[in-house]
Parts: sequence; C-alpha cells; structure tokens
Amino acid sequence: MKCRKCKVPAEISLPSHNTAFCRACFSTYFTGQVERAIDKHKLILPGESVLVALSGGKDSLTLMLELSRLGHDVTGLHVDLGIPVSSAAARAKVEGFCAQHGMKLHVVELIKEGLPIPDVKKYINRPVCSACGKIKRHWFNRVALEGGFHCLATGHNLDDEVARLFANTLRWDAGYLSDQGPCLQAESGFARKIKPLYRLTEFETACYAFINGISIHSAPCPYSGGASFTGHKALWSNLEYNSPGSKISFYDGFLKRGRPAFALVEKEEGHELSPCTSCASPTSTEVCGVCRLKIAVTERRAADPDRATDRVRDKA
Amino acid sequence: MIIVHVEPENQTLIFRSLNTVLMLQKRLGLRVTDALVIRGSELLTPDIQIQDGDEIHIRKVTSTG
Repeated sequence: MKCRKCKVPAEISLPSHNTAFCRACFSTYFTGQVERAIDKHKLILPGESVLVALSGGKDSLTLMLELSRLGHDVTGLHVDLGIPVSSAAARAKVEGFCAQHGMKLHVVELIKEGLPIPDVKKYINRPVCSACGKIKRHWFNRVALEGGFHCLATGHNLDDEVARLFANTLRWDAGYLSDQGPCLQAESGFARKIKPLYRLTEFETACYAFINGISIHSAPCPYSGGASFTGHKALWSNLEYNSPGSKISFYDGFLKRGRPAFALVEKEEGHELSPCTSCASPTSTEVCGVCRLKIAVTERRAADPDRATDRVRDKA
Repeated sequence: MIIVHVEPENQTLIFRSLNTVLMLQKRLGLRVTDALVIRGSELLTPDIQIQDGDEIHIRKVTSTG
C-alpha cells in the first residue's frame, strides 16, 4: 500500500476512509480531525485552560499530547482508584508521561477521600463500573470547577461514543440522549465537558500513541470483566466492516437530528438540580450520589468484622 | 518460523509460515482495525509480506475499561 498523499510506503491502513497513510501524513490527518472537532463545536476558545482527564490509556495520553502540541494550556488530572496493583501501574504511566513532557498534573487519591473502588465493590450492591464511573465524573467536575479551568477534556473516541450512544438508544434513555455529544456546555454547577477525539477511532488513537512513543497502561481493569460496552463495540466493529463509515454516520446523524429532539423532551421533563448539602456538587436530591456512596461505604466498612481485623493487623 | 506476541493477553504463538499480515489477522480472527501489527519499530499494513524469522507484535486496540 502507498500513502494516499505522498505515495511512499504506507504504515497505516484506514478502510473506513478507503485510504492509507505514512506516519507523517497520518499525523497531519489526525491533527486535522482534532482541529476540525474543536472548530466545529467550539470546544476550546483561544486562551482557555483545559483540564484533561488521564487514565494512563492510549486515548487520554494521546489527547493530552495532541492538545499540548496544538498550543492549548493543558493540565492533567488522574484519579487513583486504589485498586491493588492495577491503580499503581496506571498512575505510574500518567506520572511518567507528564514528567517526560513537562506537563502539569493533579492527582486525586480515592483512598484519601475514603472511597477506594475495592471498598465500593465490596460494600455497594450495584455494578462497580457504574459506581466507579460516577465517582470519576464527580471528581473530574469538582477539580475542574475548584481549579478554575474553562473546560474538562476526556479522551472518548468515536468507538466509545458510538457504543455509548447505542447503549443509550437501546434503553431510549432520553436524559442521556439529550446531551450526549462532543461538547456539553457548562451549567448548573457542571464544568464544560469536551471530547476532542470524537472523530477518531480507537485504532487511530492507538496508531498515534505508537508512532509518538507513548508508553501506555494497557492492562484491563481487574473489575471490568463483561462490561457491556465491550460487546457493543464488537457489534459495531462488524457493522463497520460490512459498511465502512457506519460509525461516524450514525453519530453525526444523531448530533444533527436525534439530540435536538431529545433535548426538547428533557427540557420539559428533566429534573431541577441544586447543590449537594455535603459537597456542593449539583444533584437532583439533597445529597449527591457520590456522597451517598461514601456514607454507605463508611458505615458498612465500620461494621465489617473482617475490616476490624485488618485494622488491628495493620496497627501491629 | 514466525513468532507472534499477542497483547494484552501476553500470549506467544508460533506459525510455520504466513504469507501476509492479512493472513495473520485472519488466522487470529481479527479485522484490519482491531489491532496494531508491529514489526520492530514499524506498523504493518495488511498487504505486507511476513518473512520467515519475523517477530511480530499484535496489540489489540479495544479498551476494556
């Protein structure tokens, strides 16, 4: 295969675009897609500060590097989940990456916040991925607001967005369908949230990470077995194979014709939000979901005889 | 003989012969964009010939959480 632009041997084949690129031309294409997303949806305005959520995976580190190269004022945010082995490895990747590139980094440690994910898994009777996502989003928003950042950027790619849109559509979840998209404007105690990689696939972000020598945390989360999004991604991979371009068509079509309709419904039926009485984060109840999780975990941990034994052993 | 390392499973497979990258991907049940195919420091497109003695890394790209 030859690079479509410069005709040297290609390294990256993109069937969805019926094309292939060499490294240099792929980088130009990649940057063009990010700039197009930023310009089209006004994700970042000149001079704005951006907090970038960093998990240690290929997408978030790629986003951080690309936004930095585009000249944006970026600061990383890593939430250390407190999962044995896995969290330390992910955090080391993030810290190493930021040190290597001289980037600012803020770390939230859930152990210090009294809500490590292993305890959530042990004491809360709901899917741990759902609770973990809620806790991470809570801290992303809180740090963005308290730090005075103009927006919070996440590394969601096209595959993530299509899988999530598909899941929301299967449930006809009007609340989520009303605001899913590359930009969620700031309102009611929420920072502006942006997804500058939404036009790029997982394969493309993986290629970018590889050719830029980004060392990533690739081990799957030990708690995420059977996550439904993984199955949805496989299903969409088949659709895309049989009909290249299906993903971006489905997503762009939703943004143009689906989301506005759901936004109207949500405007009429949505819940009023007010500050949480404990942490001031926006919530439709008196105490927000994360503070309620923290209260429940704290109570059940205190009543757990096994943990009491742990504490005695730790002191000894 | 061709040695193939598959990530993130950390599996190592040995093939006696393979013609192209596309053939390897098919043998592994992968589509073109399911994984990076790496030889040394280069990414391989599906049409590239695989040579006897090659050591290939397959890096699956789907994040699982």
